[in-house]
Amino acid sequence: MPDPAVQFQHVTFAYPGAAQALADVTLDVATGACLGVLGPNGGGKSTLLKLALGLLNPTRGVVRVLGHSPREAAARGLIGYVPQRSGAEQAFPLSVRQVVEMGPALRLSPWRTLTQGDHQAVDAALAAVGATSIASKHVGSLSGGQFQRVQIARALASRPKLLLLDEPTVGIDVAGQQQFADLLNRLRHDFGITVMVVSHDIRTVASGCDRIACLSRTLHSHVAPEGLTPGVLAEVFRHDVAAIFGDLHVDAHSAEACTGHHHAPATPVQISIPSKPTQGASPP
Amino acid sequence: MNTIHYLTDPTLRDLFLPGVITGLAIAIMCAGLSVLVVLKRLAFVGQGISHAAFGGAGVVATLGWMSAAGAVSLGAFGIVFGFCLFAALAIGWLSLKGKTEADTAIGIVLVASMALGAILLTRAAHLHGSSRGVSWESFLFGSMDGISWTDAALGWGSAGIVLFSLWFFRRPMVFWAFDPVVARAMGVREPVMSLVLMTLLALATVTAMKLAGVVLATAMLVLPGACALLFSRRWSVVLWLALLIALAGVVGGLVLGFEADWPTGPSIVVVLAAVFAAGRVYSFLQSRRAASSPTPAALQ
Repeated sequence: MPDPAVQFQHVTFAYPGAAQALADVTLDVATGACLGVLGPNGGGKSTLLKLALGLLNPTRGVVRVLGHSPREAAARGLIGYVPQRSGAEQAFPLSVRQVVEMGPALRLSPWRTLTQGDHQAVDAALAAVGATSIASKHVGSLSGGQFQRVQIARALASRPKLLLLDEPTVGIDVAGQQQFADLLNRLRHDFGITVMVVSHDIRTVASGCDRIACLSRTLHSHVAPEGLTPGVLAEVFRHDVAAIFGDLHVDAHSAEACTGHHHAPATPVQISIPSKPTQGASPP
Repeated sequence: MNTIHYLTDPTLRDLFLPGVITGLAIAIMCAGLSVLVVLKRLAFVGQGISHAAFGGAGVVATLGWMSAAGAVSLGAFGIVFGFCLFAALAIGWLSLKGKTEADTAIGIVLVASMALGAILLTRAAHLHGSSRGVSWESFLFGSMDGISWTDAALGWGSAGIVLFSLWFFRRPMVFWAFDPVVARAMGVREPVMSLVLMTLLALATVTAMKLAGVVLATAMLVLPGACALLFSRRWSVVLWLALLIALAGVVGGLVLGFEADWPTGPSIVVVLAAVFAAGRVYSFLQSRRAASSPTPAALQ
């Protein structure tokens, strides 16, 4: 069995002068898997990604990414990242294609130009996110959802082994969320990339990921999507789940109980996404 | 034609030709930087750095190196550059560390340098007398008079360093300028990029100060890029336009200065500001035309 792509071993992190954002989190992400990290706002999800990227160092514990320290993995170009809030300055006079080319170009020495393989990777990345038709558009003319796809394409074009996505469906409508879930499946099958998706949106992670970690400062469970239970979700979100996700069909099954680390409620749930989007709905 | 006369008369040519040659170096150097300055909203940073040069000029005047040439001019350049670099790094450090808001940091550095420069220049006038050529106007608004062939060589050397550095760091620099959050996550070292950019800004400011003065040096680092971005949304076109506009501003400003007997620094800025105004009109007309043209849906 190959080594996990990402390992968090007893990781604790606290921002200066603040309470612990993460407490003793131990979590493995298998190579080639798609892990969705669910949790409430302020539950430590984005902090977990920043630790994997090496933007933060754990107060205690160890983080390993693809056998390296996170910073080394980032410096080797092994990680692709799409942030929650883009800090991109969209007034830059750049086309979509030029933005996507930034990914592979970053690894080149100043004297070298993009290879044919790099151009093919850019084409494939644009096609994967459905952005081929807007490749020549000015990046400032894109909608939020379109720019989100361009950011994913830029991450893919650098051919990473691990893709980290922070709240990728914020501001995207239900139709776009379904398309994003399909994209997650394609990333794993077509690109063979290990994916970590952080979200408070249960639809995205339940339908696009094969493992789900429920995080709210501590790791509450780490299960397959069908192992999620109302009890675990209520514990993580500290609310009545039905009240939050009222449009989800949460059907109790008599399947075996959730194998979460701390909780084993009696009734696992099956989560199905609301019906397919209507025609003409805008893409993400 | 005064311009032809200035550049062909043997005596006047030796006086003004180094200024013209230096002006071209400044135009080329500032063009590339100005696009980044505008897009990264560093215009006020440029103000802070250029005004720091006033403090450096005060030190140079106190040392009595103000109107000397040759090797001494190199030392003066180094001192003023040191002041600008220190100011740039102080601004960058204060704002990067989040200790002080960037605009507050710039404001503090700006006024402190101006105050130091004013005190030292006054002292220099007492120490060395007015014969050492301590002219506040030339510091503030630039002058063709004091530019030597050594300054021209320094100007082209600086331009070479700036252009090579921009080319060498173009990929991480543009990525960082465009999207700093993801650039950091993908291994771009933000402190290195910030240090490189601030150093280049300091170098360009010191060089531009000779011709345009402390107050107007920033114009060379802002207006070419700001103008170019009004005319195009394509990266390569914007870079070439910024270069052409900077060259046109310097050449046009020098000609205007020679013909109307105006100071060169303000003349250059007036020309660049006129191009910017024309660009705004062009941009306004373009947006009006786009708004009034029928949409594809309306054509169906």
